[in-house]
Amino acid sequence: MPIPTARDTTRSISANIVSAGLPRRQLLGVSAVAVAALISQKPAWAADKTVVLGCSIPLSGPAAPTGITTQRTVEHALDLINQKGIQIGPDRYTIVAQFYDNKYVPAEAVTVVEKMLADGVKFIFSSGSGNSVPVVGKTTAAKVLQMSGASGKDHLTGPQFPYSFRVQPTNETAYALYPWLRSNYPDLKRVAHMNPSDEAGYTESEDRRMIATKNGFTNVANEYFKRGATDFYPVATRLTGVNAELIDFGGTIGRDQALAAKALRELGYKGKIMLGYSDAKSFVDIAGADAAEGTILFDTLAAPQNPAEKEFNDWWLGKYGPPMPSFAYTMYDWPFMLAEAMRKAQSVDPVAVSVALRELIFQGLFGEAKFGMKSVYGLESSITRDIPIAVIKGGVPVPLALVPWPKDV
Amino acid sequence: MTLALQILVTGLVTGLIYMMIALGVTLLFGIMRVVNFVHGELVMLAAFVVFAVNVQLGLPFWIALPAAMVMASVVAVGCQKLLFKPLNYEILNCFIVGIGASFAIKSASWAIFGPEPLAIPATIPGVVTFAGAFVAKQRLLAAGICIALTVALFLFLHFTRPGKAMRAVEQDHEAAILMGIVPENVYVIAFVISAALAAVGGAILGTLFGVDPEMGSDPLLKSFIIVQIGGMGSIAGTVLAGLFIGITDSITGTLFGGELAFIIDFAILMAILVVRPRGLFGYDV
Repeated sequence: MPIPTARDTTRSISANIVSAGLPRRQLLGVSAVAVAALISQKPAWAADKTVVLGCSIPLSGPAAPTGITTQRTVEHALDLINQKGIQIGPDRYTIVAQFYDNKYVPAEAVTVVEKMLADGVKFIFSSGSGNSVPVVGKTTAAKVLQMSGASGKDHLTGPQFPYSFRVQPTNETAYALYPWLRSNYPDLKRVAHMNPSDEAGYTESEDRRMIATKNGFTNVANEYFKRGATDFYPVATRLTGVNAELIDFGGTIGRDQALAAKALRELGYKGKIMLGYSDAKSFVDIAGADAAEGTILFDTLAAPQNPAEKEFNDWWLGKYGPPMPSFAYTMYDWPFMLAEAMRKAQSVDPVAVSVALRELIFQGLFGEAKFGMKSVYGLESSITRDIPIAVIKGGVPVPLALVPWPKDV
Repeated sequence: MTLALQILVTGLVTGLIYMMIALGVTLLFGIMRVVNFVHGELVMLAAFVVFAVNVQLGLPFWIALPAAMVMASVVAVGCQKLLFKPLNYEILNCFIVGIGASFAIKSASWAIFGPEPLAIPATIPGVVTFAGAFVAKQRLLAAGICIALTVALFLFLHFTRPGKAMRAVEQDHEAAILMGIVPENVYVIAFVISAALAAVGGAILGTLFGVDPEMGSDPLLKSFIIVQIGGMGSIAGTVLAGLFIGITDSITGTLFGGELAFIIDFAILMAILVVRPRGLFGYDV
């Protein structure tokens, strides 16, 4: 006698119910109630409460690659966090992310964050300096914890903004980079800076010039361009005329990096180029392997170097396929840090979590990470950790160094 | 001297590319009084077609380019028939619908093509040095294509029956109808030519600057500035204004830096519009 399959059993039950005299409409109703009952049954470990994390990120427009990478990374991190949940007293919390498109336009970002605040969101992530600075006053007044993936200084993180944190090393990477450059490339003396003409660009330029000077470099040019500009020949012509030995792209991101590097090489620039926040593959694809050769990539993990990085890398490649954007690594740790701070604070009150976040020492993808830079900004609000550096060789990024965060910053 | 030559070469090449894209805008406006906001998206879609055919299918650029022109023409005629014709080509309505369609196409492109910027390899890699000035060979090729197409457009408009019909409709709509010209047919030809110019622009920009869903926005903005300075509907004005804007951009961008360049460009546009609101060769709308 053949063993009945699940489908056979279902058919049999349905047939019995129908034969028992239940009309089809009632049968559907019974099924719906049964399904609803099944769904409503919670297993013992199920979440009791949720915390909303509102994310203001660019999901369209030229900066969309960073926003989409951030979204994918945060979703994965929260999946991992929520598997165990955050136990706070008798309650188990999970974090639910809501993603809003700020289009990398400050006005859109303000609208998005105002909506979050009106909805009672207590934890916010904001991507981009120009999008984060205009809202930090509002989030501070509402005692909402704001985590920004952005360039910035004391106008974004400082004693006047006690609930504002910067979760990605940006302009401050220069504190680690320039001493490393001085040691490893002693022949480099003349540095030119190129940045987008916006909040991030001016902040990056100011800090990088200051830090370069402190480390014995001579700043020979400081250029700005409109973000998303397509023709870099004019600015590249200016830069090739100053005999720079190194051009620091600072806050330049995405396609602009590749187009600028391509224009510089086409116009005969032979010196070094240094850039960060990049997706190395698309940089090489657009700039061309020859133009990209030798480019120093700061805060760029060329390839996973430890089991945690490999695990994340494998998950990404399995789900989205290559290339693994190196920017994703830089967005990975902060959701875990937020969850850990909630756990340590035993609270989901943003004020208490802010205090715990400042005291947290976290073992992240790049090793020890913590919020620091009190010596610069007056409060421990900016992430500090080791900075991975890569270099383009033969058209692909190759790991070069893991530069330790300077102890005196 | 070298710097001056570099500025001139950069400006001429850039100006020629923007001029060619702007020619499509001014052609439609001259004939139909339609300001086509979808034009920038045709540039973008064409670049994606070139990427697909040239990079993904591995076929030569010279096969990808006609494919892009055909696709852009189909989309353009589709827009004409489905968006602009039902509105009787009324300028303001077409303007608004065009903006909406542009956003829709751009949003769909983000969803379909994804966020990663793509690259089309240069057809002719390498750099040419001339009296100390550098220029990529691909840029010279782009300039050559732009000049050839502009000449071809001029010859088409002046020495072919469809071209003469287009000029007739542009000069006097009613008289053209009395002469037996069917304006709707002329409109289709105008949309096809306009789209083909946009497609070539997209292919060129794709090889020079990469491909992404936002790539049509900047050329469209530049096109409007060029068309406004040259005079809406004027081919000669567009050619001159395109070169003028390209060289001005290059001069201001190189000598004064990117920030000041935008201010100077804007000041030039304002000055021309104040002194001559119709543009250099335009007429009243």
